[in-house]
Amino acid sequence: MSIFYKNPVDIEILFDGEDSRKHVEIPTNSHSAKSLFDKFPLFEDGESVSGLVTLRVREGKKLEHSGVKVSLIGSIDTTGLNNEVKNKNLDTFLTLSMDLCPPGELVHSVNYKFNFKDVEKRFESYLGKNVSVLYYIKVTMIRKSADIVKLKKFWCHRYSNESALKENEAKPIKLDIGIENCLHIEFEYSKAKYTLKDVVVGRIYFLLTRLKVKHMELSLIKRETCGTEPNQLSDTTSIRYEIMDGSPVKGETIPIRLFLGGYDLTPNMTCNYFNVKNYLSLVIIDEDGRRYFKQTEIMLYRTI
Amino acid sequence: MASYSENMEQAISHIKQQTILMQRSLTQKKLMDALKHSSDMLKELRNPDLSPKLYYELYIIIFDSLSILSQYLVENHPTRHHLADLYELVQYTGNILPRLYLMITVGVSFMQTKDCPAEEVLKDMIEMCRGVQHPIRGLFLRYYLSQRTKQSLTSDILLDKKFDVQFVITNFVEMNKLWVRLQHQGPLRERDIRTKERKELQILIGSNLVRLSQILDDSFPLYRDEVLPQILEQVVQCRDVVSQEYLLDVICQVFPDEFHLGTLAQLLDSTLKLNPDVVINKVVLSLIARLNGYLDRQDDPSVVIQNLKQLHLNGSTDTKATSESNVDSAENKADADVTPTNKVDLFFVFWKYLTKITDERPDLPFHEIIPLVHSIMLLSLKWYPTNLSNIEILYKFCWEKYQEFGSTIPEECEQSFKEFFEYPLNTESFYEIITKCDSFQKLLSVQSVALQKDIINSILDKIIETNTKISEKHHLEKLGAICEPVIPVPNDKSKVSKLTVDDELDDELTFLNPEQEKLAKIVHLIYHKNVDQNTELLLICKKWYYKGGKQLRYTYPALITEFWKLIRKLHLKSLKIPARKEKYYAKIKQLFKYVSRCNADLFNICGLSVSDLLFKLNLQTAAIADQLELSEISYDFFSQAFTIFEESISDSKIQFQAIVNMAQVLQKTRSLYNEESYYDTLITRCTLHGSKLLKKTDQCRAVYLCSHLWWATELSLIGEEEGVTQYFFREGKRVLECLQRSLRVADSIMDNVQSCQLMVEILSRCCYYFIHGDESETHVGVKYIAGLVELIQANLKGLQLEESGDTQEYSVPAQNIVIGGDGSYICKVLSSSVCKVSNKIPNVRIPDLIAVPVSYFERTLNYIENQKQVDDRFNAIVT
Repeated sequence: MSIFYKNPVDIEILFDGEDSRKHVEIPTNSHSAKSLFDKFPLFEDGESVSGLVTLRVREGKKLEHSGVKVSLIGSIDTTGLNNEVKNKNLDTFLTLSMDLCPPGELVHSVNYKFNFKDVEKRFESYLGKNVSVLYYIKVTMIRKSADIVKLKKFWCHRYSNESALKENEAKPIKLDIGIENCLHIEFEYSKAKYTLKDVVVGRIYFLLTRLKVKHMELSLIKRETCGTEPNQLSDTTSIRYEIMDGSPVKGETIPIRLFLGGYDLTPNMTCNYFNVKNYLSLVIIDEDGRRYFKQTEIMLYRTI
Repeated sequence: MASYSENMEQAISHIKQQTILMQRSLTQKKLMDALKHSSDMLKELRNPDLSPKLYYELYIIIFDSLSILSQYLVENHPTRHHLADLYELVQYTGNILPRLYLMITVGVSFMQTKDCPAEEVLKDMIEMCRGVQHPIRGLFLRYYLSQRTKQSLTSDILLDKKFDVQFVITNFVEMNKLWVRLQHQGPLRERDIRTKERKELQILIGSNLVRLSQILDDSFPLYRDEVLPQILEQVVQCRDVVSQEYLLDVICQVFPDEFHLGTLAQLLDSTLKLNPDVVINKVVLSLIARLNGYLDRQDDPSVVIQNLKQLHLNGSTDTKATSESNVDSAENKADADVTPTNKVDLFFVFWKYLTKITDERPDLPFHEIIPLVHSIMLLSLKWYPTNLSNIEILYKFCWEKYQEFGSTIPEECEQSFKEFFEYPLNTESFYEIITKCDSFQKLLSVQSVALQKDIINSILDKIIETNTKISEKHHLEKLGAICEPVIPVPNDKSKVSKLTVDDELDDELTFLNPEQEKLAKIVHLIYHKNVDQNTELLLICKKWYYKGGKQLRYTYPALITEFWKLIRKLHLKSLKIPARKEKYYAKIKQLFKYVSRCNADLFNICGLSVSDLLFKLNLQTAAIADQLELSEISYDFFSQAFTIFEESISDSKIQFQAIVNMAQVLQKTRSLYNEESYYDTLITRCTLHGSKLLKKTDQCRAVYLCSHLWWATELSLIGEEEGVTQYFFREGKRVLECLQRSLRVADSIMDNVQSCQLMVEILSRCCYYFIHGDESETHVGVKYIAGLVELIQANLKGLQLEESGDTQEYSVPAQNIVIGGDGSYICKVLSSSVCKVSNKIPNVRIPDLIAVPVSYFERTLNYIENQKQVDDRFNAIVT
């Protein structure tokens, strides 16, 4: 369509200091993209979002419009697998708007500044299988015919207040599990809550092993759940990390150390529409390929 | 997760390929790629199906590859990357084994840089290595850790030695655990294979101890207080035979001798707690070998021992010596622990240990105790060669143990016992050991007869070889007690011989027992300056040998000769000190009595079989007595000889020899003339016996030989000289009588050849007398000789007639035949230089036989011709 009908106006949105701003790279889910990653500028919760909107009109043309407005929108998209455009299940939790210019006529390119002050962003940006949380700036030129709209996504990270979490943090996870007369282990993770750059430290103490263990892994599982019963959708992704090779004897202690910083992890999130939870799963694989595991929920949070 | 290759070839080629890729990435400075390739090749090490040998091959290749990486990492630190970051980066490797290899590679590279918290990194690495619990993979991983850290640990002085040591020990402990675990993997029937595989891997574990000893260098307190207790604890705890044996051996080998000296008690104590299947003596033996070797390696071993001793003296006062004398103080301490007494030495430590081990391990089989005791003995002999009480203690211990175990002692002990007994023999103090250690004999006496004989033989050999003089009574007694089993006749025949009345034949057939020969030799080693004591010693010997029954025919002669020696010695003394002559005389007389006693014993026990020997012994004794001018004694022995001759010697050949022997001895006697005409009696008797011999040839020869009895000749040894000495016993008339008589006998012999031969012999004899005496004295004159010559010629003619009657053609004789002085035929085959002697007429042609007396006669005539030029008197003889 664009071949026949070109937008009479070119809208460009530029954040203040965008070049120097921190960006995040997010794997794209569209297959057509050239690169594997999309780059988005990063904003924090409560940070002002300001920038410049440039409206460029084609040389020698006039454009009539009934006003231009800019809005900052945060939305949760739970479209998921039934990714049908019509059925788009979108919930906008945040809309801030301001008018850039009154109705009139555009004859040459104009720049407008916009500024949303201290915007509260309730959720982190998230791109999951079934759910995504998106933030974007939307510039709308209202016209009698179809409006001309330009979107610009940006990314949002919410940083948890570390001191508030500190008290819980000291408490390690300790578990004592086993299969009767077969396996009995005690394991321990240093804490239940980790920052995304944290290290999971722990140890596994073998009290009894009659199993012929082939190896042992630690899996970091992210589970996203959305919707409500019975139409609940969930998705699990995991990272596997081998922590032991061979079969230990009674009394052995195996250290656990897993650096989280290198992985692309999502902090725990909860809202009405969906939640994202993280689990640590200890998996023992015996020589016959049987898997024994124990999942433990942990909380991941983002800090500066 | 990518997997490993299926077989060795693939694995190797994969590793090589990845190595090349890694190198390429490194030259392009693409570190991340290089790490990826490294991680990729490390996956090959995850293969669980490889045997230790193959795994080792892979390990070696990978080790080299990672060295390249490590070098790059160090060279490009901080410019291109920071190793601390890399250290974290490699943590993300999903598989634990490649992760840890990379971690170690990076970590160690990191440690080589200056700003590295080396201790932290080391701690972290060793902690993380726990993640690999698979025995072989774990062992190699930890070996890799140990190899990699080697350079940094030794080169980096900044690191605390204590930390280093702790690090290596931790690694060692874990490795040993894995190593032990390897044994219990896989099916039960493959246990042996496991054991074999483990032995192939042992060097990996041992290398840790080597490292420890390198790090420790000379810091003994650290070793004593930190290292050894931990190592030993691990060794004890693992309760694994292969491991315990190997590790203790390595401990003994790799640490300095001084350390061992200092921690002996600890080390030994730990062996008590080992798995019961471990052969403890192997361990102790290697330790002792080490200590003994230490002594050898020192320039001056005595100094070391001296030092040890000094410390013992000071031990009580300053147990806590300063670090300069670490070894010493440790020694003190160790000893202070074990010894309440003042008698402190290395031996005591071991002794204490020995008693302890037998207390705590009553299950220990006897055949394991012996080598243990044996090894302690090695130690004692090396360190305290003079302290024989140690040895005595050990033997006593063994003996007591032997009593305890009683009949349950298995046969395999025999060999160890043998070594146990034989070892001391090769030391310098063997004689003292034998003579002073009561228990040696006690213990020996309870062994099997075969073993005892074996040992006794060795002992005797040794004594003879070293030519040890035996001069103490109790030594001799001890020796006798030890040798007791070989003295008597083997009993096994006794029952049979009762049935067969005359077992003489059996006796003849039995070969000379080597033990008896050695026993006899021992007699010659008995020596004491004092004759009385020497005599006593000999009498003790005699007492034992008497127990030997018939065997004493081998041993008594030696005794008798020793008595003879003493007699001569006394005689010489009496000549030097005439004042004590009487006293000496009494002693000599006593000695002769002993000889006589011996002879009597020999006769009583061995009977006829030794009569010839006895005859000779008597004669010899008589000769000695005569030389000492003890005519009475001499006569007595002569008469003894005669008695034996008359009663016991029945073989005609021996009889003849006996007569000749007797004549020989008698002719040289000097003391018998004086009183009661002993000489006359004896020589008459001798001649009489000679003339009564069975064979005429023997008679003839005996008689003409006896003729010399009436013609004494000079004995230059006792100062006689022809023409100077006043008196010689000479009776020419009797000489002639004898000659006449023998001529008569010769004449009456039917065999012409023999007869002629004898006549020529008599002719020679006549010539002798003709030369040596005046005709008036000897009555052998020209006439007589001429007559004899004529007679012989006539007889020879008769012989030659016989020859001419023989139609056979005369040819050159194939062999020379001569008739010997005792009538035997001596044949010499021309072609060879060997002569054949026989008593029978050789199987030759008659002419050859006839040629014998003829040629003899010719030679005699020739002699007479020659004499004519020297002696005028011979001119009168017309031939």
